[in-house]
Amino acid sequence: MRERRHLIAPSIFALLFIGALVWGYNQNQIKKQHEVALENHYQRLFFDVKKHIENIQVNLNKALVANSRERNILLLSQIANEAISAHDKLGQMPLTHAETASTEKFLNQAADYSTYLIQRHLQGEDLTDEQRQALSNLQNNSAKFNAELTNIQNNLAEGNFFLGSLSASQLNRIKDADKNILQTSLVQLDEQIAKTPELIYDGPFADQMINRKPVGLPNNDVSLEDARKAAVDFLGNINIRDIEPFEEGENINEARIPAYTFNLYPENQRRNTPIYMGISKKGGKVIWMNNPRPVANTKISIKNAEERAMKYLQEKGFENMEPNYSLKYDGTILFNFVNTENDVTIYPDLIKVKVALDTGEIVGFDASAYYLNHHDRTIESPHIDEAEARSKVRQDFNIDSTRLAIIPKGKSEVLCYEFKGKYNDNDFIVYINALDGSEEQILQLIKNENGTLTF
Amino acid sequence: MKRFIILTIAFTMVFLSILLFYEPKSPIHTASRYEAMFAPRTLYWGVQGQDVRIVQDKLLRWGFYDGEVDGVYGPRTYRAVRKFQAKHGLQVDGVVGPATARALGMPEAVAAAANTGINRQTDEYLLARCVHGEARGEPYVGKVAVAAVVLNRVKHPSFPNTIAGVIYQPLAFTAVADGQINLTPNKDSIKAARDALNGWDPTYGCLYYWNPATATSKWIWSRKVMLKIGKHWFGI
Repeated sequence: MRERRHLIAPSIFALLFIGALVWGYNQNQIKKQHEVALENHYQRLFFDVKKHIENIQVNLNKALVANSRERNILLLSQIANEAISAHDKLGQMPLTHAETASTEKFLNQAADYSTYLIQRHLQGEDLTDEQRQALSNLQNNSAKFNAELTNIQNNLAEGNFFLGSLSASQLNRIKDADKNILQTSLVQLDEQIAKTPELIYDGPFADQMINRKPVGLPNNDVSLEDARKAAVDFLGNINIRDIEPFEEGENINEARIPAYTFNLYPENQRRNTPIYMGISKKGGKVIWMNNPRPVANTKISIKNAEERAMKYLQEKGFENMEPNYSLKYDGTILFNFVNTENDVTIYPDLIKVKVALDTGEIVGFDASAYYLNHHDRTIESPHIDEAEARSKVRQDFNIDSTRLAIIPKGKSEVLCYEFKGKYNDNDFIVYINALDGSEEQILQLIKNENGTLTF
Repeated sequence: MKRFIILTIAFTMVFLSILLFYEPKSPIHTASRYEAMFAPRTLYWGVQGQDVRIVQDKLLRWGFYDGEVDGVYGPRTYRAVRKFQAKHGLQVDGVVGPATARALGMPEAVAAAANTGINRQTDEYLLARCVHGEARGEPYVGKVAVAAVVLNRVKHPSFPNTIAGVIYQPLAFTAVADGQINLTPNKDSIKAARDALNGWDPTYGCLYYWNPATATSKWIWSRKVMLKIGKHWFGI
């Protein structure tokens, strides 16, 4: 009996130890399974990217050889597809943004540029010499990229490297970036690609669109003191207890709209919900304002809110603004106002006004689009009349209203006839170019009880 | 004495077997939340509509809700839903996902009929979760700014072209890497996401932000610095 008793403690410990071992082994197995799954996923992404880049390279070669517009359109649409897939997959690989930024940009712009060329071809134009040069630059880049990926693939095949080292403890090991083949070679590639010249074209991802500067602001510089005054004046009869500017960085003047930004503390509002406002450094205009105060009981009608928003804009010196869409959310209603000139609706000159539905106070204002786009326009008179434009729209499209409108098209703007109506019980707007009669744009409207969204 | 030994061993075995076969509960919770993400319509603070009215009506009749049946998912509805979830052993998050909708006896077809399927809600909710995970402790304008950065990235060629693509890009957001993105967003985060989607951009087009106290990457400091909002610096 006594001999047995001194075995109790060791045997319990032995059991616990064995249990811990089994548990630890299971955990380790699970961890390995996860690693393999992740590794497989990354391998797949890698091989896919390689394949897509190869196809881009080959198709670009063919596009340079092809002579007919029809063949080129097919090739370019394939390039766009492959580039989008490659871009999408590269964005899922465990690489930091710093390492892939230029490569991602190259792929996105290759797709975008191809789409732009397809549009030109469809309008009956051939490639210009510059465009051929741009295509051959793209071809060079994709060749470099492809060569780099082949190197990596060879290293993978030799087995001296595997992507799993990235996956398991991504965050820790990624810091030793130099040790990793995939990363170092892609970083070098990224640097090379960054050196190629900018693509000049008209599309949503073109550098000219990204680096757009406001054209609607006066040119005089405004001091912080004046901006402060403009901010307080803008709020009108709200008593401001305190106003403090946001801390600025050294490159603030390179922002899309260089501006002073303020916290304004109204007397009757809690300290943690100030009103925020941005005042442009050029001309001292209010770019945006947002008052995130909570809204309790909604009792103002939409009609009333719209009148208040309209009056507000007139007080702020925006004449001829026309309410367009509205969206109700969080006890507020947001109106999109656009400029009109001689009965032409100018969509790029957009101002948003948010009205709180409890007191009817204006709690939001955003004129950034207006100041980015507004300029003195000489609006051409349409070359075709309404009936002719109507004939360009499907005959069974049920039209509710028609008017002239200017809509943005890439960097530029086009004058269009706007046909609002229904097709198969869905709401659409169809835009027909008022100068040459081409179908410029189709928007689908999704309506619900809170408002309208356009897609 | 012998009984004591047997009891101890039995107890240890039970303990170990629990340890071995214990499956952590949290992945199941996360999974159900993901399921909610893909449901035709998830009801949460701030949404409006006929389906909200149905929820309010049911909760009113069962005595959880004491407000008006107005179709607006406000604080009272939120509290009523939480009470209902607590009572029925559901996850108490104040969000009517599929599980709660089922417990409420709402036919899923009704929830789906409330819209045409084309909407902005999934993006809105995902963006709100990202804002909540990344900028919970920030002032309101800091939350809008984080959402605006995500949206600016979507429009920029060097980044993925969808909201989900930007948010889930590996190594882009710490809140995604450590799972904080799966927390239920609060009212402010949802409001901030909506304001950003409706065009407010306090960053004037910035693509990056970092917290100077925790930023480890040297690269981030080579960015062009624009302005400081809350604890974050914003730049391009």
